[in-house]
Amino acid sequence: MPSSERLVALTLAWAVAGAALAQETPPARAPVHKTSLDQAPAQKTSPESAPAHWLERMNQALTTRNYDGTFSHWHGGRVEMLRIIHRVQDGTVSERLASLDGSGREFIRAGASLTCYLPDKRTVLVEQRPPEESLVGFPAVNDQSVSFYDIREVTRTRLNRRDTHVITVSPKDEYRYGYRLWIDDSTAMPLKTQLCDRRGHVIEQIVFASLTLPAHIPDSAFKPEVSTAGFRWLRNESAPPAPTAATLAWNAMRLPPGFRMTARSAQTLPGSADPVDHLVFTDGLASVSVFVEPQRREHADQPAVPESAAVGSSSAFSTVIDGHKITAVGEVPPDTVRFIASQLKAEELPAVSSRRH
Amino acid sequence: MNEELDSQLSAMFDDELAPEQCELLARRLSRDEQLKARWGRYAVIGAAIRSERGVRLNAPLAGRVSAVLLAEPALVTTPGARPTAVRWWQPLAGAAVAAGVAVGCVLWLRAQNPLAGAPLSAHLTAATVSVPSAPVVPAAAESYVVPRTPAVRAMVPSTELANYVVAHSVYSSPVARRNLLSAFMTSESGTAAEEPPDEPAVHAQ
Repeated sequence: MPSSERLVALTLAWAVAGAALAQETPPARAPVHKTSLDQAPAQKTSPESAPAHWLERMNQALTTRNYDGTFSHWHGGRVEMLRIIHRVQDGTVSERLASLDGSGREFIRAGASLTCYLPDKRTVLVEQRPPEESLVGFPAVNDQSVSFYDIREVTRTRLNRRDTHVITVSPKDEYRYGYRLWIDDSTAMPLKTQLCDRRGHVIEQIVFASLTLPAHIPDSAFKPEVSTAGFRWLRNESAPPAPTAATLAWNAMRLPPGFRMTARSAQTLPGSADPVDHLVFTDGLASVSVFVEPQRREHADQPAVPESAAVGSSSAFSTVIDGHKITAVGEVPPDTVRFIASQLKAEELPAVSSRRH
Repeated sequence: MNEELDSQLSAMFDDELAPEQCELLARRLSRDEQLKARWGRYAVIGAAIRSERGVRLNAPLAGRVSAVLLAEPALVTTPGARPTAVRWWQPLAGAAVAAGVAVGCVLWLRAQNPLAGAPLSAHLTAATVSVPSAPVVPAAAESYVVPRTPAVRAMVPSTELANYVVAHSVYSSPVARRNLLSAFMTSESGTAAEEPPDEPAVHAQ
């Protein structure tokens, strides 16, 4: 092949490859050829087909259906493939999430047991939750949510030859993220999900490359592929801390608009002997967990230096207040976890070891 | 760049452009430098060639890309060719050949997609689940020079942060939970030796 023809052919291959890979690498902003998703007028819908109803249907599908899918996860210019298997059998949820080409990490949930295999750390975390917390309900989309998000169905489109409803959940302030969801018309499964910041920039994306909804998934599908020989196992098999006559009750003095505390529990985390207070705040869509534990004695004389971290688009912030280490984690912007963690204050009150609000 | 062209490019990114239009646009890409520059933002192909961790599409793809590069002797040495020509051709041709393989891999992945074509209800009664088995990834030859890896944001969750993430995930909405755990699964891995015994609760970014 002459050089010039070869160059054209090769460039074509590159271009087409880019098109194929583009599904894995979203542009920073919504494509310009489409109507701006966040600005499009909401379609007139019946209550059954209202956008919020589609969110409920999607949540229902994700938590009650059996499914097995392979999807790409994009964040910060990095793309990796993962596989998720989810089964509900006799009221027990089993789930396996595995990285197919990255760290080799696996997360397996079997009822109240959560096991996280970290081959890169040669560590396995096992968290045994109390039976009453094995199926914790997720925040429900309600009128309160609508106050802080603009939820619209902006269009219906075909994705992977499936009819989908494109639902946008746009935050009205800087304290939360938004979503664009491509929800399958017949199954309500989200085939594509984009997490967006306040200005509509895509910061995280998940796209299913394959998805099946089997009636039966064998137990063998929930076995880890990781060989754990030589790994250290960290468990929290000790009983939850017993209530004492009086203890410190932690509360947030102020919260971002729309957030409220929905759960509080005392628990022991894997590999830790000390109990941790776990407070959960939610606005109906986004949630933030705050963990409170006494500062380690060996660190007591060290200055309290607040630290931030990120796990994908989720944020974490750690600080020290009144001799306790406060760590907030949530799928919200960094400023939100920082705000909530910084507002924690202890009050001396009679204790209840575990309660839900 | 006019709006229509930009729209076509966006559609191409979203895999929503008809194949014949895709081909036409690809031809235009080959001669439109401005249009071509937009592809520069997408470093996935280059990352796949370099087998960069986390950025590649998947290991089999990166492996195939490397294999093709290694099996392309004409691109490595061309007897009689001027050194400058070799230097000019090598990255471009290598990337394009690799991209061709990438297309094959992506299309291969899509061919496994049960959503494409048959109605989903057909899978509701499937007794077993089949997932494409990963092809064997050929080992990289010693002669292959790995380009310098650009700096990426470090996201190394400590064991303690992992505990928090797992505990928090129980309270997240299903979509947020999947995002959170996926991000945790794909975050840059550390090693046991890199984790100090009395590490802080949260690693600074």
